[in-house]
Amino acid sequence: MRTVQTSPVELAPPLRLVDVSKRYDSGAGGEVVALSHVDFAVAYGEMVAVIGPSGSGKSTMLNILGLLDEPTSGRVELRGQPTVGLTEKQRTDARRESLGFVFQDFHLLPTLTALENVRLPTAFLPGDATDRARDLLERVGLGDRLDHTPDELSGGQKQRVAIARALVNEPDVLLADEPTGNLDRETGTSILEEIRRITDEEDVGVVAVTHDDLVTDYADRTVELVDGVIQDG
Amino acid sequence: MAENGRRFPALSLATRNLSRQRLRAGLAALGIVIGVFAVVTLGLLGNALSVAATEELGGLGDQVIVSPAEGSDAESLDARDLAAVQRAADGRGTVVPLKTTGGTVRASGGRTVAQVYGTDSPQALFGNGSGIVPAFHRQGAIVGADVAEDLSLRPGSTITVEGNEYRVVSVLPEVQSISPLQPDSAVVLPPDEFATSGYSQVVVRADSAADARAVADEVDRRLNARQERVSVFSLTSVLDRIAEFFDLLNGFLLAVAGVSLVVAGVSIFNVMLMTVSERRGEIGVLRAVGIHRKQVLRTLLVEATLLGVVGGAVGAVLGVVAVVVTATQTELPLWAVLLPGNALVPLGAFAFGVLVALVGGLYPAYRAAWEPPVEALRG
Repeated sequence: MRTVQTSPVELAPPLRLVDVSKRYDSGAGGEVVALSHVDFAVAYGEMVAVIGPSGSGKSTMLNILGLLDEPTSGRVELRGQPTVGLTEKQRTDARRESLGFVFQDFHLLPTLTALENVRLPTAFLPGDATDRARDLLERVGLGDRLDHTPDELSGGQKQRVAIARALVNEPDVLLADEPTGNLDRETGTSILEEIRRITDEEDVGVVAVTHDDLVTDYADRTVELVDGVIQDG
Repeated sequence: MAENGRRFPALSLATRNLSRQRLRAGLAALGIVIGVFAVVTLGLLGNALSVAATEELGGLGDQVIVSPAEGSDAESLDARDLAAVQRAADGRGTVVPLKTTGGTVRASGGRTVAQVYGTDSPQALFGNGSGIVPAFHRQGAIVGADVAEDLSLRPGSTITVEGNEYRVVSVLPEVQSISPLQPDSAVVLPPDEFATSGYSQVVVRADSAADARAVADEVDRRLNARQERVSVFSLTSVLDRIAEFFDLLNGFLLAVAGVSLVVAGVSIFNVMLMTVSERRGEIGVLRAVGIHRKQVLRTLLVEATLLGVVGGAVGAVLGVVAVVVTATQTELPLWAVLLPGNALVPLGAFAFGVLVALVGGLYPAYRAAWEPPVEALRG
């Protein structure tokens, strides 16, 4: 846990967007502005909900935060370090070292058990993350489902496995794309409680992109995006 | 599996993925099985046939037969010709001058028409290393196996050739290999029994096929320099042609089998392309959670290669079994199949099958691993 913050790098927010814009060619010579001059940061242990209508640039923002996409202008800082100019390999390493992902439709590998799915991000690394994976699964209440494959789990259980997977690498920030989108309200509530509790325990920042008002109830702060611009609220 | 998964993550992920679509994986591997089977059976059979035929025809290659040229006036070779052949063959083989005629052979058991050879050194020509045939022949008759059987002759029997009586001193063993002379249906007499002084042909039994070729060239050079006095007949060139033919045949068979392997490669390509397009999202997740492009590529290539390894192994084993069974059921000698050098055929076919699967998986794996994860995750 990061209770002692001494170095200046540690004082910087784990993930930050500085004046980030993203434009796409719309094909017929035109341009679509997905994000426009966005400044954004998330702190350790903080949960931020990003809301907005579809097409508002939420997913683009999450992809850029997740180093899956690059901004057209502006910069992304990871623990105070700019990420511009990183090679694909370095970005992949940075994702594995600092970020965790939770998706709307879980995206678990159907051939792997819960434990193996959680261990997956570390599969090609030396060392054995089995203990950490088992610990995380126990903490999300799936200690008795370690050897179950995804088709033997309910939607809520799958999302718990996905949360454990997102945390196995001890990330700085967990990025969630509609984490409750495929779940009923009751399950969604328990998933959000789970995310909140476990990221507080691990001092992990959370950015959740969502349509769901429920998410904002659990967030420390909510940011609204409209047409790629953050609304001051 | 869990232990392997930690040590060989790519292998573990690949086997899991293959087990997902067993039928599809099985069919893709079946293509490799058939291709490798074809290469192994056709390759082994071609090799074995070639070896067996060369063995069968082997004796042919060592003989050079010198006879009067067709256009020349001479009907026989004189002592000068013989001396020239002897000089040409010096150190390269044994020279046997031969008188030849046809004749009727009578005995108490009946009569038959036989080739009559006159030579004083029958062992060099007909002996095949057995002690039955005398090295020098001064009196009596040596009869071929067929003649002996037709007339029920044994050593000690009496035969009449062209009005003269001879005592049978020896019966030639039956000849297995093909030879330009036909000792089975021949009677061999001492050369003095012939009225003519010249020789109808001079046979050189060379020490090797290369020697035979050299002797033939040398005789040609010595005797046919000014005019075509003798015709030099050697089967070395025929043997070379036969060997060439077998090489061509083997090449053709392997090419046909190779095509079936290439087709198998295309089916692996197709299957892998289907697989990765179905698993786009999963591959996107792998990339998102920090698995490198090369690690994804490796996993997918292991998947394709495993199809080749399994298919190739099964095909190679089945192919060898099929050829061995064929050899035991036909006249193809088993030893020609089981030559140590032939092990290269199944090994090579296996390696080729694995390579084909690997190449077939290369593009689909590359395409999937290099796709930006954002697009893969979008679905």
